[in-house]
Amino acid sequence: MATIYRVFLILACAWTACAQTSGVLKTLSEELDRNYVALKKVDPPPYFMAYSVTEQDYSAVSASFGAITGKNQSRTSNLDVTVRVGNPKLDNYHRIRGDRPQFTSGSAVVIEETPLALKRRIWLDTDRTYRLAAERLIKIRTSSEVRVKEEDPSDDFSKEEPAVFAEAPPQLKFAEEEWAGRVRKLSTAFSKYPGILTSGVSVMAQSETKYLATTDGTRLQHGRGFARVIVSAVARAEDGMDLATSETFEAVDPRDLPKDEVILAAIERVAKDLTGLLKAPVVDPFIGPAILSGRAAGVFFHEIFGHRVEGHRQKDENEGQTFTKSVNLPVLPEFLSVIFDPTKRKVGGIDLNGWYRYDDEGVSARPVRAVENGTLKTFLMSRSPIQGFDHSNGHGRRQTGAEIVSRQSNLLVESSKQVPEARLREMLIAEVKRQNKPYGLYFQNITGGYTTTGRGGLQAFKVMPLVVYRVYPDGRPDELVRGADMVGTPLSSFAKILATSDRQEVFNGYCGAESGSVPVSAVSPALLVSEIEIEKKQKSQDRPPLLPVPASRETGQ
Amino acid sequence: MRRRWFVILLLCIPGYAADSDDVVLRAMRAELERARALKFVNLESPYFAEATVDEVYGFSASATLGGLLAANRSQFRSPRVQVRVGSYKFDNTNYIGSGFTYGSNYDVDRLPLENNYDLLRRYLWLAIDRAYKSAVESIARKRAALKNISIGEQPDDFAKAEPVKLVEQVGPATFNEEMWKSRVRNLSAVFAKYPELRTSTVEFAGIHNIQYLANTEGSEIRTQEHLNYVRARASVQAPDGMMLRDALVFHGSLAGTLASEVEMARAATTMAENIIALSKAPMGEGYNGPVLFEREAAAQVFAQIIGKNLALTRRPVMEPGRPGVFASSELEGRFGARILPEWMDVVDDPTQAEWRGRPLFGSYKVDSDGVAPKPLSLVEKGVLKNFLLTRQPMRGFNGSNGRARLPGGYGSHSAAFGNLFIKASETASLAELKRKMIEICKTRNKPYGIIVRKMDFPSSASFDELRRLLTGSANSGGSARPVSIPILAYRVYPDGREELVRGLRFRGFNARSFKDILAASDENYVFEFLENGAPMALMGSGGSISQSCVIAPSVLIDDLEMERMEEEFPKIPIVPPPT
Repeated sequence: MATIYRVFLILACAWTACAQTSGVLKTLSEELDRNYVALKKVDPPPYFMAYSVTEQDYSAVSASFGAITGKNQSRTSNLDVTVRVGNPKLDNYHRIRGDRPQFTSGSAVVIEETPLALKRRIWLDTDRTYRLAAERLIKIRTSSEVRVKEEDPSDDFSKEEPAVFAEAPPQLKFAEEEWAGRVRKLSTAFSKYPGILTSGVSVMAQSETKYLATTDGTRLQHGRGFARVIVSAVARAEDGMDLATSETFEAVDPRDLPKDEVILAAIERVAKDLTGLLKAPVVDPFIGPAILSGRAAGVFFHEIFGHRVEGHRQKDENEGQTFTKSVNLPVLPEFLSVIFDPTKRKVGGIDLNGWYRYDDEGVSARPVRAVENGTLKTFLMSRSPIQGFDHSNGHGRRQTGAEIVSRQSNLLVESSKQVPEARLREMLIAEVKRQNKPYGLYFQNITGGYTTTGRGGLQAFKVMPLVVYRVYPDGRPDELVRGADMVGTPLSSFAKILATSDRQEVFNGYCGAESGSVPVSAVSPALLVSEIEIEKKQKSQDRPPLLPVPASRETGQ
Repeated sequence: MRRRWFVILLLCIPGYAADSDDVVLRAMRAELERARALKFVNLESPYFAEATVDEVYGFSASATLGGLLAANRSQFRSPRVQVRVGSYKFDNTNYIGSGFTYGSNYDVDRLPLENNYDLLRRYLWLAIDRAYKSAVESIARKRAALKNISIGEQPDDFAKAEPVKLVEQVGPATFNEEMWKSRVRNLSAVFAKYPELRTSTVEFAGIHNIQYLANTEGSEIRTQEHLNYVRARASVQAPDGMMLRDALVFHGSLAGTLASEVEMARAATTMAENIIALSKAPMGEGYNGPVLFEREAAAQVFAQIIGKNLALTRRPVMEPGRPGVFASSELEGRFGARILPEWMDVVDDPTQAEWRGRPLFGSYKVDSDGVAPKPLSLVEKGVLKNFLLTRQPMRGFNGSNGRARLPGGYGSHSAAFGNLFIKASETASLAELKRKMIEICKTRNKPYGIIVRKMDFPSSASFDELRRLLTGSANSGGSARPVSIPILAYRVYPDGREELVRGLRFRGFNARSFKDILAASDENYVFEFLENGAPMALMGSGGSISQSCVIAPSVLIDDLEMERMEEEFPKIPIVPPPT
């Protein structure tokens, strides 16, 4: 009783504290009550329902070689409906091998306040979702799968404290004309580099507001902004290898994106790297010591570690379950800890892509210390419990239109074996000599990576570096090489981390998985690894353009 | 009805200087000239290259029940490059692998919006390079495939055409966004008065398209098109669960503006009331006999059954041992045969700008191949005399008549008509047609005849529903190319009384059915629609549209078969609708 009372108190405070609560949340609440009460009378009755609306305001402008190539603006609003029938022990979301339930459709809804229009959409989507939910529950109950004893007998849905919070929706403040002028001018900087085929400078800004009402009493209205500058260039080497380099800058507010000088410096780096790569030798498959820059290390951890501690994978018998039975066992070198912290907004002055106040199930964000001094402590949890972990830790996430599963937020690698970067490089050279290798590798910049976690596939990962150097032990300058993909298997790779640098770098990006694309970041110091494997990148057989670049002295009008 | 806002549209289009020194055309010319020198090791150089650019200014907005769902402004320049190697007789096209990009491509699908000559050339250079590499790959594969299969005498691969020089004054466009937003909002609010409706939306789309085309034969074209349309859709669920829907489209072009808000609201109200009436109407029963297609419905069946079949489909050279299915025109091979009564003619005339004071929606100056159309007599005294042709030769037909209007397969365009005139020299009043049908029913002892006033064309079905329609029709032994379903069909009893029925579809209704047209009316209906090449011109599908128009009399057709749609209906929502 006491709990309920406290909740109401908080609820009352929150409502009075925030006068800007939008009509969307009110409509969601009213319809939730109305539909829930009516559906409670039918068989099977729902025991939990949730409505969420995601509003996005988006603006982008891009330029290439001094001309605007695209301008886009959009405003969208989407509805996701969750209906759970059965009971928390066994409901329509119960996973059956090889079957991924999908109920919500992320319907487009009105982008301006029109209660009747929103209500009608909610009404139809609720009916559709309820019928799918009821149908699946009947199938599950009669399925032989559930009669066989499952490895993990945990419940399908956890009980969590309801959350009530409302803040004013973020407003998109994007100076389109000003940015158009800036990217147009900035993009001309690529013209100096003849080997580049296409290039671009683009900027996008987005604001996102999420509304959530659940039958638990959760009532949320919160949001944030995303802004991004992308600098990219593409070329093709004589042997047909496609080469691309890029750099990005992220900020919550477009006004905090870097100044022209900073972007210009990035363009120079991207162009010089690409021009360098055109002339660089192609790598041979190689195993040996390497340094992964902080950004490269961040992606490495995101792929090979992060995806394997997502809670729902521990329960799904189709999954590889690398770490399922490893709780309280060492999984990383003792000097490393891994924290997922969606409450962290900035590192080193850089806004993090993976921060949020509440996850998509309305569970408040909190830091999750997944690995403490090398020992696995917990998993990333949504409201779908797994054996030994009954509650969410605020990592249930999705893109609108997809069902929620546990996902990463801001991944932070902490190290107690830090050395300055110069020292890390000396250690690399020492390791090269010790192993009697001709050179070591330095992975400087990275585009992204992927991994397979399923049982049917190889338990492997691949990281696609943009810029890789050979580091020679004899003092020769580092040599840029091209066509390397980093490959490996998770468990063997972790054991080979020897030390880290003392400077953290941020990789901001978007992660795609079964619940869609979600913003994330990975923060890590550089890593020294005793052994890394690279393979030759797949390449096209096409030649570079047959005719030379059109030569003209004419300037644009 | 007079259209007073005629000029408003033109006013908001500031003109580009009417120079033939257009930057886009100049860049195209320069890169096409260079393309002649393309040569890959010891392979052949192009014998033909063409570049087109669509410069599009667009605005769209949609709303439901008085609230905006979306509003989008877009502006882009989309390039398309065609490179042919070989000769007019035999080239890289008309092969199952033609039109694909081989290898990885680094060219862009969007050209810069700003007139930067160097940059336009750079992107055209990359696009032509890729198209050339794909062309030499295609012709090699086509030759290899032909080593193992024998396909007999083939028509040429490409028809020669007279170069066209046409540089019109064009300019970018802006849309009165606030006005259109308020229009869709207001119009969508009309449906809020009908709580029986299950769903409803109203959308506006404005597309201003400046088209550039240049080729190595010497054509240089710059023209513009302007299209505005407002589309309203609504659905209702009958007490037995059956879903009923209808749509309403208003078009406007450079030549004529859209209907007023008052007219639109009136039409939307009628549509809402019609489908609500439909949801309460009895289910139709199987029927065999005369059907009277009135006004809009007549133009709709001519558009989809005669109009569509006037374009031929060429079967590409296939890979040995991998046959494919290609739906050919129902009229293929019927050249010189009678397909309509002797007293009927069909003419397609995209050059005609207006008809009886009304601007014609399907007019155009050059087609997608850069060929200028002329009036084309397709059916004379009931006999099929010609087809709609592009630069893709067909067996027995080599030479375009300027009807390339939609993207086609295997390196060519598809043909479609512009303004299709269905002419009858023997006519009667609509009332006489109805009387005639009743007469026939009486003589044959039939309890009633059928009048169709509206067909679902272009179809407003969902993809899901369309799929069900196609399989449903195939399963019931209907045509492989099913005709869209009638939306408004009425039983007409001997005493002239009419009764709306629902749930009927045609069975085996095809081009041959038109030989049995018994009578045509003396009044004509002008039907405008957007053809997109999809089955039943499904609304919202396909990336390209061509403005099309049919001018046709009402017709009475004998011996048509209608059947009841056997479908499972979704249940009525458990929770009552919100208020």
